[in-house]
Amino acid sequence: MLPLVGVIASTSHLSFQLETKVQQMRCIFQNKTTTFYNHEMGSTKISIMTDGDYDYLIKLLALGDSGVGKTTFLYRYTDNKFNPKFITTVGIDFREKRVVYNGQGPNGSPGKAFKVHLQLWDTAGQERFRSLTTAFFRDAMGFLLMFDLTSQQSFLNVRNWMSQLQANAYCENPDIVLIGNKADLSDQREVNERQARDLADKYGIPYFETSAATGQNIEKPVDTLLDLIMKRMEQCVEKSQVPDAANGGNSGKLDGEKPAEKKCSC
Amino acid sequence: MSEAVDLSFLSETERDLILKVLQRDEELRKAEEKRIRRLKNELLEIRRKGAKRGSQRYGERTCARCQQSLGRIYPKTNTCRGCNHLVCRDCRTPGTHGTWRCKVCVKEAELKKTTGDWFYDQKVNRFANHLASDLVRMSLRKKPTAGKRDTVGQCLLQQSQLSETRTGMKSTQEPLKEFSLSFDASEPRDGKDSLEPESTSVDNSQVDAVGDTWRNPLEKVGTLRESKRSSEGPECSANKAEADDEVQPLGQSLGSADETEMIFKKNPRRALRPSEYTRSVMDLRPGDLSPGNGSLGDRSRSVPGLIADMEEEEEEEEEDIDSLVEIHRQKTARSSLRSGSSWSTLGSMVSIYSEAGEVSNILITGEIAISLKYEQPSQTLLVHVKECRQLAFADDIKKRSNPYVKTYLLPDKSRQGKRKTSVKQGTVNPMFDEIFRYEIPKSLLSQRVLQFSVWHHGRLGRNTFLGEAELNMNSWKLDRPLDQWLPLHGKISAEALASILPQKSELVVSLKYIPASKLPVAGDHKKSKVGDGGELQVWIKEAKNLPAAKSGGTSDSFVKGYLLPMRNKTSKRKTPVVKRSLNPHYNHTFVYAGVRLEDLQHVCLELTVWDREPLASNDFLGGIRLGLGTGISNGEMVDWMDSAGEEVSLWQKMRQYPGSWAEGTLQLRPTMARQKLGS
Repeated sequence: MLPLVGVIASTSHLSFQLETKVQQMRCIFQNKTTTFYNHEMGSTKISIMTDGDYDYLIKLLALGDSGVGKTTFLYRYTDNKFNPKFITTVGIDFREKRVVYNGQGPNGSPGKAFKVHLQLWDTAGQERFRSLTTAFFRDAMGFLLMFDLTSQQSFLNVRNWMSQLQANAYCENPDIVLIGNKADLSDQREVNERQARDLADKYGIPYFETSAATGQNIEKPVDTLLDLIMKRMEQCVEKSQVPDAANGGNSGKLDGEKPAEKKCSC
Repeated sequence: MSEAVDLSFLSETERDLILKVLQRDEELRKAEEKRIRRLKNELLEIRRKGAKRGSQRYGERTCARCQQSLGRIYPKTNTCRGCNHLVCRDCRTPGTHGTWRCKVCVKEAELKKTTGDWFYDQKVNRFANHLASDLVRMSLRKKPTAGKRDTVGQCLLQQSQLSETRTGMKSTQEPLKEFSLSFDASEPRDGKDSLEPESTSVDNSQVDAVGDTWRNPLEKVGTLRESKRSSEGPECSANKAEADDEVQPLGQSLGSADETEMIFKKNPRRALRPSEYTRSVMDLRPGDLSPGNGSLGDRSRSVPGLIADMEEEEEEEEEDIDSLVEIHRQKTARSSLRSGSSWSTLGSMVSIYSEAGEVSNILITGEIAISLKYEQPSQTLLVHVKECRQLAFADDIKKRSNPYVKTYLLPDKSRQGKRKTSVKQGTVNPMFDEIFRYEIPKSLLSQRVLQFSVWHHGRLGRNTFLGEAELNMNSWKLDRPLDQWLPLHGKISAEALASILPQKSELVVSLKYIPASKLPVAGDHKKSKVGDGGELQVWIKEAKNLPAAKSGGTSDSFVKGYLLPMRNKTSKRKTPVVKRSLNPHYNHTFVYAGVRLEDLQHVCLELTVWDREPLASNDFLGGIRLGLGTGISNGEMVDWMDSAGEEVSLWQKMRQYPGSWAEGTLQLRPTMARQKLGS
């Protein structure tokens, strides 16, 4: 269902751009991909995914050691394809996908369906790009923290990535899902599920085992993360809409407010 | 991110790849910006249709949204939890647990979500510490300040585009070094201190050039290039790149020279982006969905003084809902105009705030016939604008004027206090015969000055000042109607106005500067390496004799502070609102961290007092600027460094005695238009 949304959005935009060729183009795009990345698009002006016809722009970011499969995971998620070749990511990259999010109505009833445009940032795991990649942490609303189930070291490094996130994300406890990738390589497995789940519990974040090679469990972690973000968003807005009268009452505050003042810039 | 993101380690190909990614990101971001603008316009539309406004007279029992009468038997529970307005059943949206909010509140919440403001606000808050600590140094380096929506990718892209531009103009050996990340929320960069004197000296050497660069960005580029040769170092050049950057959007000669054109072509993002100050203008245009931002920016430049005034009145950097309210003000202002285009209102709005007004060579002539009456039972002043005669020609060649008259009960220059006649076409002896009403108690009226100003309604909003006249209400016995011809004269100066206004508003503030050495060591904050910065504490104690902005002769006031040259979120501070008082006690302290003693001569603390008007525009009540008043900040001529008298001496006192409070009672300026230097 989800990829279909992307296609619809794409073609509707195309009909605007290339009126008569819609039919031909639709075939092409259905056969190809719903997302585009730099090497194909280059400087072309027509970008199907940037038509602004969506309700939310949600920015996610994948991080983890080099070679755990961040790029292939995202490639599988957006294009449902797998590339077994290891091509190291240069610094940063991103992919896009449009999904439908079914929000909850006021009374817990199934609410409106929203079109969500996902911008999925892919980061280089390599140390030498570290300064660049961590800089991008702050612009993401949620994180896919990945490790390789066949590499104990990549799992051990999850702690480091967590502290990197705490230091550099938009807040100290951002929404994160932990992903153990390469679940299909069971004979080479070095991290058992118990271990990983314990760690995830310790941080209070969901854990998933996935395989970009087989496509196993690919959508679940992203959907979960999206759900977490949307819920957080609701809470944020709810909290900020405090009745006016409450604010008016504390006008006689004394000097004691200073510390708070320092933290808040507004 | 404990150090600068130095990308010099990247190879050429790697750099190109990353640039392409960033460009794609930019495309997405542009679409997003457009979408957000559209969303915000929707909210404005809803607001415009039915927000209760201070100026409108509405019955107590009408719905704040649709203005339908609610009848007498409505229970008290019908106020919206969000805005406390009475709202009818049709204008509600149910929420969780059987609660509800009014349409506008719901839309606002929705907007916070869909625009991503919920996220950007948090992000800004998180990194505000760094921003604050780096605030002054950064601003002294003329770094453009990032809005809350700015992303790392955006910063990187801009950096690279700038460096590219320069590589295009002259071959630099180190393009990669210039392509280094220096978004403003980053930690203090290594080697910053060692570079500090260097960059300052560069600035000083450019004092002469600075003035000109406003007109011709190219010159600046030229000087920069030259001075760059003398002072090597990637940081330095990056800063200068940003300096260019600042000048370009404001530059009046867009595309006039080939080289400028090249810059803008090579740098499409910059070129399309209107000057910071025109952004809000864009927003308030109805149905502004077209991507042609550049032209809008240009057009707004044709409105005299607009840019400066927008700067004063609006906070363009803020894209949050607060600022929408302010934009909203202008929208309603426009829709209330009976004739003429949107620009006419903008033009005259400008006239409110700029005492200097539009520069015109017109010799003021003529007079205006008015009569006044005070209705005791309703406490209403009736102002009858009858006619004018022998007005000056706005267009001397065509011998034409399209006059209209505008009135204020000074010192209230708010929109609510403005009344305007219709425009009479093609006459210098217009008959208006219109009656304006001001609801104001007798006691307050005697402290006011009624001002009539005559304007020519020009094409494209070029309203030309044709003269004005003032009547001191103190000198008129209210029980006897007044019927008079008043001769028109030129613009009255702020000083002269202040002298005839009996009531003087004052603000009591106390300032303290705490040097870094005396600051308690920062504890757990990993990143709060304030280092060489002290702390500026501003204790807003109270205000006296504030103008009354609300009916009933009160104001719900608060004080807003900026530490100029930064005029954005990071330097903005606000006190809580004190309701229903003209002598409010705020007792609130603003703290600016990371301020060095020597910075104090380059910055200026701007404190403005506002009347809070929920769901409408806040009204400006007065303000002060505390600083040295030298007209110069960090070697550059700036118009906001215009403190005078007590404003200067208080600042001096604070500088001289670090660690102790310097208190002063300062007269509020009736307008924040830049004072003439030396006056």
